[in-house]
Amino acid sequence: MLTEDQIARYSRHIILKEVGGKGQKKLFDGKVMIIGAGGLGSPIALYLAAAGVGTIGIADADVVDLSNLQRQVIHQTKDVGIAKVLSAKEKMLAINPELRVNTYEEWISAANISEIIKDYDFVIDGTDNFAAKFLINDACVLAGKPYSHGGILQFDGQTITIDPGKSPCYRCIFPTPPPKDAIPTCSTAGVIGVLPGVIGTIQATEAIKYLLGKGELLTGRLLTYSALRMRFREVPIKKSGKCPICGDHPTITQVVDELDALNVCDLEK
Amino acid sequence: MNITVKLFATFRNGRFKMDHQDWPEGVDCRRIVASLGLTEEEIGIVLINGRHVPLDQVLGHGDTLSLFPLVGGG
Repeated sequence: MLTEDQIARYSRHIILKEVGGKGQKKLFDGKVMIIGAGGLGSPIALYLAAAGVGTIGIADADVVDLSNLQRQVIHQTKDVGIAKVLSAKEKMLAINPELRVNTYEEWISAANISEIIKDYDFVIDGTDNFAAKFLINDACVLAGKPYSHGGILQFDGQTITIDPGKSPCYRCIFPTPPPKDAIPTCSTAGVIGVLPGVIGTIQATEAIKYLLGKGELLTGRLLTYSALRMRFREVPIKKSGKCPICGDHPTITQVVDELDALNVCDLEK
Repeated sequence: MNITVKLFATFRNGRFKMDHQDWPEGVDCRRIVASLGLTEEEIGIVLINGRHVPLDQVLGHGDTLSLFPLVGGG
């Protein structure tokens, strides 16, 4: 049952035939885990909170830095120096006080990832390094948990949704992480501030569609975005028989940390 | 044989967007990647005629090879 206030708050959702009162209830009963409270995590957390996703987890061990504010729109100047997850939670509850926001002020690792994601319906990767991206893929595939991958750098972004067992996973495209320092990061190569807004909002859309059970998910196709050229492309991706985690003869049967893929900045944290 | 090479995102910096190149029969994606001064670690997605392929895939006359970098920021 929705209250009068909830009917008013979500009225623009409720009048959509794909949502309605039932769909809004599904969102309220839904549980989404956001890993990373940075560029991607900011719009994801804000939109999921506004949409009325009832339980949202958010994980990040970092504190807000002045250099984050150009793109991490959930954080404000007054938040510099405080934990990103607490800053994020404050804004999410300010938008929508009815939510349950669970904060995890820690870096994800093989030791905690399975426990962190286990109670959630859908996971969103908003992390900024390959070690975390592969770890999230492995944990979600092994747990059969659907998730949205996102990546951004400079003017380019990419995203794909993984529905384990049914669609190709991140390792079907990229079997192993690149060695650390092989690929520039946002802190070394820069990122245009609006970019995570575009990719993160698509990731939040996927979570909402998944909870509603409506539409087509971004599975089996990697969406790439060039902000400079203002082009979206879809790269069709097939499940790989050689995939080390979801292929015919998987070699990865438990989550492990990809230590070689950690960026130097991660090790310093 | 003629191969069209298309580069995306940061791979274009100091290189090109699209180039028509002449390669001997039997050339694979890996050899063309090396000729561009790119390392295998940098390569994200390799497509031949819009289909995702491994780096050791051999190209045919008239194929289009597209290379996308890895994008791992957040």
